[in-house]
Parts: sequence; structure tokens; C-alpha cells
Amino acid sequence: MDEELEPGLERIAAAARRPVHFDTRFDDRVMAAVRRTSRPSAGAPRRLAIAAGIAALMLGSAWLGRRTAPGGDRSAAAVRGTAAADRVVEFVVLAPGAAQVTLAGDFNEWSTSATPLEATGRPGVWSVTLPLPAGRYEYAFVVDGERWLPDPNTPRAHRGDFGLANSVITVTGRT
Amino acid sequence: MRESYLLQTPPAPETVTPRAPFGGLEVAGSRRVTQITHSEVCTSDAGIVAQVLAGDVEAYRLLVERHRDRFARFAVRMLGNREDAEEALQDAFIRAYRSLAQCADPARFDHWCFRILANRCRTRGARRRRHDALFVADDAALEQAAASGGIGGDGTDTSDIDRVLEQLDARSREAFLLKHVEDLTYESMAALTGEKVSALKMRVKRACERLRELLEAQDG
Repeated sequence: MDEELEPGLERIAAAARRPVHFDTRFDDRVMAAVRRTSRPSAGAPRRLAIAAGIAALMLGSAWLGRRTAPGGDRSAAAVRGTAAADRVVEFVVLAPGAAQVTLAGDFNEWSTSATPLEATGRPGVWSVTLPLPAGRYEYAFVVDGERWLPDPNTPRAHRGDFGLANSVITVTGRT
Repeated sequence: MRESYLLQTPPAPETVTPRAPFGGLEVAGSRRVTQITHSEVCTSDAGIVAQVLAGDVEAYRLLVERHRDRFARFAVRMLGNREDAEEALQDAFIRAYRSLAQCADPARFDHWCFRILANRCRTRGARRRRHDALFVADDAALEQAAASGGIGGDGTDTSDIDRVLEQLDARSREAFLLKHVEDLTYESMAALTGEKVSALKMRVKRACERLRELLEAQDG
């Protein structure tokens, strides 16, 4: 063990280790919801569509020239597309000095490693392109694995537990 | 190792056998033991995941039964009450089901699902704080803990512990729980949270300092 607790703190940890039981009605509720949910596909991850759009994001006060359709909701208007099921959204962030930037959100179960951004060749500019079905998504950037950054150009959902607000993007369906 | 272990016949319920709290994740020591229950049937998580993906929706219940209590403890300790914890865990299981095909290593379904749960707890915790319904002041938490025998004392109700843990900021609470309740190594915590080991060590340290303050206030 690499870190022992003194007796006082160990008492707290021991109390926190006491089991918590949810009964089988919990399982029933989960399974009822699962049955109402579309079945998971055993195939490849969701296919990239050929639509294009940009949700341009900024870090600090630096702008990156977000392309926005006139008259629309900020985030929704930032996503455009022409193809079948999904819209393609490009997330761009300016993060000078970052060694790694990832995107975490509802679309990847808030994984901080599943969706890395790539350096674009422009100094400090990172981007990633994602296919997203129509819907509302909360997201944030994670810089160097520890700094969570919301997008100042899109609406915020709420202040997160970690003192940051998630950003929200709404991907509209094909018209 | 876990795979072969799970393929053995489960021991009698009273048998206590060391087992990693999350498959494939290293634990920091051997002091913690987990009782084997009958629900841990002789089927691997990977096998069940394959079964579900092949169309057997009902097989998913086995994963829920197997990991429910372990996840429930974390959710309750993170969120401070059963109602929010149940909703967060239900949400996590459903999201995991929907995304099951994207589980890169089905043998570590529990690790993957736990990450989803941790994020759901963050989101739900933020919503709860926004409404500020359950946040308890230090004095109130200490008073209640003292009334039941002191923080972590023999007579302490676990709800008192949850109130005490609420005195930690969410980052510190999560780090403390992963380290000293789930017994994960810092490397496993980093893999789980995406945070750096150095940052996690700092959060655990801060959590311990804060808890020490609460203990001193109680003793004083």
C-alpha cells in the first residue's frame, strides 16, 4: 500500500466503505428502461456522414473565426450537413502550449481519452471532427488531462461540480 | 487473472476473498476484501457483453446485478443521498447499455461503466448544488456526527459519513473515495479519471487535510 491513513481518517474511510445495497427493484427499473432503449449495435462505431459544419471554439479571449449560419441558434447554427443520419461537427480550440487536448461529452460518455483533438498546423490550434446524430449534447475540452474548459461561444448547461460549466451544442436534424 | 477467477465456482457466501474492486485495476493494498455473492455467477463480463450484443437484452441484468452494489456505494458517497445515487447509477447503466458496442475491452466492463458513472455523478452533483437543496453546513454535519458517536465512530450512521464527505469539494471527495474507499492505485485513478497522478495526489492530500480539520473541530 502506498499511502496509509492515520487512525482518525481511517475511521472515516472505513465508514465510507460500508456496503450500500440497492434492491432488485432497482434492477427491474434499469431493465425496464433498457428494454425501451434501442439495442446496442454490435457493428462498427457510428458511420461518418459527409456533412460539414463548424462549431468554432475559443480559449481565453482568442477568436478563431467561427462560421455561423445567420439567424440561427449559436450552437445549432454551427452545425450543417447534407448527409443521411449524422451531422459532422468540427470542434476547434485554441490551446497554446497544450501537449494534449481531448473532447469529453455526452456523445462519448464523458471519456477524457476517447476523443483526442489533433494539432492543425496552426500554432496552438487543435481540432476534431465528430459525426453526431440530431440532439442536444453537453461537452467540454480537457487540456493536458486535467484542465476542463467549456466553450465560451456556446450556451452553458450549468456550473459543473468542478467549477466549470458544460457547454451545450444542439445538432439539428436534416431538413 | 480475473477471467480465470470468475470461471471458478463461487465460494460459500461467508468466504471472504481478496479481489480487485474493479476488474483489471490495481488496488493499493490487500487490506480490503470483497465478499463473493451468489450473483457473481460463473460468466465473465466479456461473455455477457457478447451475449447482449448478440441480441440477448435480458443478459444485461447479470451485469447490473454483479456491479450494482459496488457502484451504488460510490454514487451514494459522491452524491450524499440514495435518491440521486440511484438516478445516477440507473442513468449510467442505461448509457452503458446504449454504448455497449463501444466498450473497447468488454472484460473490463466494470471499469468502463464506472467511468460513465463517475461522470454522471459529476453532472448530477452539479445540478444538485445548483438547487442547493442538500448542502449541509459544517456545524450541522459535525453536530449530527457527534450525536451518533463521532465521525467514523462505532455508532456512526453512514448518512453522517455522507454529510461529512460533502464537506469536501467534489474533486477532493472523488479522489479520496477512489483512493481510500475503492483502494485504487494512483495509476488506476489516473486511467479512470483522465487526470494526472500529481493532481490526484494533491486532491487526496487536500481531502485528508480537510477531514483532519473536521476531526479536530469535533474533538475541540
